[in-house]
Amino acid sequence: MGLDFGPDTGQDGNIITTTIDKVVNWGRKNSLWPMPFGTACCAIEMMATLASKYDLSRFGSEAIRFSPRQSDLLIVSGRISIKMMPVLKRIYDQMPDPKWVISMGACASCGGVFDTYTLIQGVDQFLPVDVYIPGCPPRPEDLIDAVLQVQQKIDSGTLPKGVSHY
Amino acid sequence: MNEEKEVEEQSKPLVLEKLEAAHADALLAQDEVRGTTVVVVRKERAYAVLEYLKTDPELAYIYLVDVTAVDNSRMESELMQFDYARFMVVYQLYSYQGQCRVRVKVPVHENDLSISSATGLWRAANWLERETYDMFGIHFEGHPDLRRILMPDDFEGHPLRKDYPLRGRGERERFNFDKQNV
Ligand code: SF4
Repeated sequence: MGLDFGPDTGQDGNIITTTIDKVVNWGRKNSLWPMPFGTACCAIEMMATLASKYDLSRFGSEAIRFSPRQSDLLIVSGRISIKMMPVLKRIYDQMPDPKWVISMGACASCGGVFDTYTLIQGVDQFLPVDVYIPGCPPRPEDLIDAVLQVQQKIDSGTLPKGVSHY
Repeated sequence: MNEEKEVEEQSKPLVLEKLEAAHADALLAQDEVRGTTVVVVRKERAYAVLEYLKTDPELAYIYLVDVTAVDNSRMESELMQFDYARFMVVYQLYSYQGQCRVRVKVPVHENDLSISSATGLWRAANWLERETYDMFGIHFEGHPDLRRILMPDDFEGHPLRKDYPLRGRGERERFNFDKQNV
């Protein structure tokens, strides 16, 4: 995180110096609140990831919210039909900034085996996806890895300049 | 054991016997597929036959399992059989009393896609007929609410017809995100 412990004041660790970017990113990345958008079989693996065996809370992302207004990580897991896409777009728009998107599984990322009239061939045509997960379905470890990649991405990013409050 | 079975197989199902007696003029064909009696019925008489199957106390096919359709436009052998009717509307019925099924098929020509709705007999027909309308464009006369059920309201065409392109007509890339119904 880039923390430097201050000069020896006689009271170890009482003073630390860092940058706003780093401390805000540190806070953000370790408490991602996912908005699950599970429409098909991939969602089952997402549930497994959240349950006790794989336990996503080890990485600070257990606070699943079914309200987009309270979440900052959209996990699209499953097939998105042409009827569902406007709903998904609306949910994405309702999430407050900053927000990140994981496209989980072959279907969400590229339509998978369903190359048909009714299926969106990749949600990245309409949403800015940060991390794609291959697999049909991906294993829970893959989803955990994707969350860690989002964390890395947050960590390496900087805050918009000229913002006076965070 | 074997003898018994043979006797059973030879005897005609009750439903066929009764239909032949009461609605002989409506029957176009009959068959048996894996233990299910299949009857093909003239469109004009379809409602009467369904009503008979449901209300006759000996038959009592009170459970409408499914309504769907088949597009036979690439099945020459099927087409020839029933005067080149492109669609076959299929009703699947079950009788708790007789513990047996019957499948009623109704040929529907492309130039007259209307058929009377079975919603007056089974309320379950409502959504099933909406789906058949959505996917094949069959018009169920007398249906209280014949709207699309699976595809978006502004969708054009009927995607389970054989001439509908599998990958669509570009609807999966074109989007109107301002739709009111979202
Ligand atoms: S990628 Fe596979 S497991 Fe995931 S939604 Fe598609 S079909 Fe289901």
